[in-house]
Amino acid sequence: MGIYHFFAIGIILFSIGLIGFILRNNVIIILMSVELMLNAVNLLFVAFSRYLYANPDGQIYVFIIMTVAAAEVAVGLAIIVALYRRFATLDVSKINQLKG
Amino acid sequence: MSLYFLPLAPALGVLINGLAGKHFSRQMIAIVAVTAVGVPLLIAGWLCYQMILAPATTKAMTATLYQWISTTAVSINIGLLLDPLSMVMVLVVLFIGFFIHIYSVVYMKEDPGFRRFFVYMNLFIFFMIILVMADNLALMFVGWEGVGLCSYLLIGFRHEKKSAADAGRKAFVVNRIGDFGFILGILLVIVTFHTVQFSELSKILASHHGISNLTLTIAALLLFTGAMGKSAQFPLHVWLPDAMEGPTPVSALIHAATMVNAGVYFMCRMAPLLQQAPYVLTFIAVIGLITAVYAALSALGQDDIKKVLAYSTISQIGFMFIAVGSGIFTAGMFHLVTHGIFKGLLFLGAGAVMHALHGELNIYNMGDLSGHLKIVAATFFIGLLALAGIFPLSGFFSKDAILWGAFEQYGSWYWLLAVVGALITALYCGKLFGVAFLGKQNFSGTIHKPDAVITMPLAVLAFCAVGTGVFGLPMFTPNTLFSRIMGSSFAPTEAGHAVAVAAGSHTLEIVLTVAVSIIVITVFIIALRIFSIHRDKAALFSASYRKTGEFLHAGFGMDGLYDLLWVRPYEWIAQICHTVIDRIIIDGTVNGTGKMANATGGLFSALHSGQLRYYAVSILAGVFTFVSVTYFLIP
Repeated sequence: MGIYHFFAIGIILFSIGLIGFILRNNVIIILMSVELMLNAVNLLFVAFSRYLYANPDGQIYVFIIMTVAAAEVAVGLAIIVALYRRFATLDVSKINQLKG
Repeated sequence: MSLYFLPLAPALGVLINGLAGKHFSRQMIAIVAVTAVGVPLLIAGWLCYQMILAPATTKAMTATLYQWISTTAVSINIGLLLDPLSMVMVLVVLFIGFFIHIYSVVYMKEDPGFRRFFVYMNLFIFFMIILVMADNLALMFVGWEGVGLCSYLLIGFRHEKKSAADAGRKAFVVNRIGDFGFILGILLVIVTFHTVQFSELSKILASHHGISNLTLTIAALLLFTGAMGKSAQFPLHVWLPDAMEGPTPVSALIHAATMVNAGVYFMCRMAPLLQQAPYVLTFIAVIGLITAVYAALSALGQDDIKKVLAYSTISQIGFMFIAVGSGIFTAGMFHLVTHGIFKGLLFLGAGAVMHALHGELNIYNMGDLSGHLKIVAATFFIGLLALAGIFPLSGFFSKDAILWGAFEQYGSWYWLLAVVGALITALYCGKLFGVAFLGKQNFSGTIHKPDAVITMPLAVLAFCAVGTGVFGLPMFTPNTLFSRIMGSSFAPTEAGHAVAVAAGSHTLEIVLTVAVSIIVITVFIIALRIFSIHRDKAALFSASYRKTGEFLHAGFGMDGLYDLLWVRPYEWIAQICHTVIDRIIIDGTVNGTGKMANATGGLFSALHSGQLRYYAVSILAGVFTFVSVTYFLIP
């Protein structure tokens, strides 16, 4: 197990999140995709701090990011609730009020 | 110190009534306003007494408040000057102003704008005092513009009436044309003399100054333009007949007795300059003569009692300018004083008549008023006698001095034309009294009798219209009582004049005076008889010359001419400015800017689909581009 394994998994996770973010219509799934990308980055943070720099700073950052992500999810879910109340749907392709 | 109090008291009147007057009763407002003129009148009387006692060399009192403008070119003080010349003006303004204030208390008592009226009147007195007491041109200009403002405000006093608002604007605009000349004149004086102080100016002019004649002529001419506007001289007189839209006390105070005479006072003040610009003196004399005859003819054609008096005022100021142009400034000032008194009296009398007849202005709808309004008729008659210049009223003395001065200076033809002006004056005076006060009664309904507060000022002014003639004694000498009061105000010219007169014989002067006097009295009596007893024949006569009558009524069509020459072209230019410059160029630029921003925005708004994934892909593409550029393209 070397840094390349972690690297590959991180890229795969990130790509899944990115593709899910772009292709899925449901806002909840999109939010989950965002979390997936976030966690891919977290994984790489830990891996780099262990193999590349031999320094715990990256691992401490991960805790901070997880805390922020928890808060972000709370806000995100609240927005989703508000969106549903406003549009009675969670399909982003139908929520296009910003169209110019 | 007491010099300051003369302008201060009316200013305080303005402040008290203007700021706190809302809570005052009408009685209180009237008391404040009348006191604000009455107290300085007493002080001026006391100062006048002191001045008469003072030796000839120390007659002028000065007081400098502070330095107003200080540059390398000129320094201007806020300074007051009270010499015999301004003393006479101050007394005229305050004396007539005081009685007109009293008269107005009753005349305006029903008016909703009572407080506003008295604030404006006090403000006018304040600016008039500043004008006459200023010791330099610049401060005089401040007073000059101030009285112009008050004139505008009071002509348009009933501003809800379109004709009154228009008349106010007209007065303002025509006066600005004159003032344009005035201010250019001040600038030329500053450039030439490096001072605007009257005492300094006369000192420089008395020395060997080496300033070219042309410069002096142009300066005098420009300053006279200002006087023409303010004193309603042909061709800048058109505003004065319209100014009769103002309340009658305003016409009496501003447009007969004081403000319109400011131009004459101003020219007398500039006497040292005028004496060195003989061409301008001739020009003034010609303008004065044209105005005197023209306005007297126009007065003949009027049927509105106030318009008759307005044209008569223009004509009489023309006579004052004849005096100025003939170099006899003392006679001009004397006529200013007597005219101020009797014309103030006539306007107040006209106001009393209007009051009695519920606002009737047309003299042909009056008739036989002497039977109903005895005091008003008697005082009005005295005023008309003085205006016509009939012995022994004050107008006789002042007008005679002017006619003789004109004869000496410009010869018999000029004199003859001036006499024609005086005869026409007698003619319209007789006509006015005959039509309005004698003959058959031409109105029905009740007469509103004037009360004592209205008749008291009339009586006082009538007494003065008779009495001020004393100052013209002894006749046929340059040493009249009035010129002794004026002292050495116009010493340089008139000293030479006096020697010349003393050397010559008085026989011709006496013969001419008596002859003119007899003709004037005859014309007056004939006019009186024709228009009272033989009114039918007069009507028949005027019917056969209807066109001429209309021409005179329209003041020789001057208003129409101005309309054609100035008003219509101006409106045409304004229309072009409106449609082309404003609508197309300016509006086009502003709206075009907005439209351009709108179009650009529309172009870029096509980029926004509103689809979330579209934005996500954009971000991704952006990150890719950024990373690629930083890693691969930049080494």
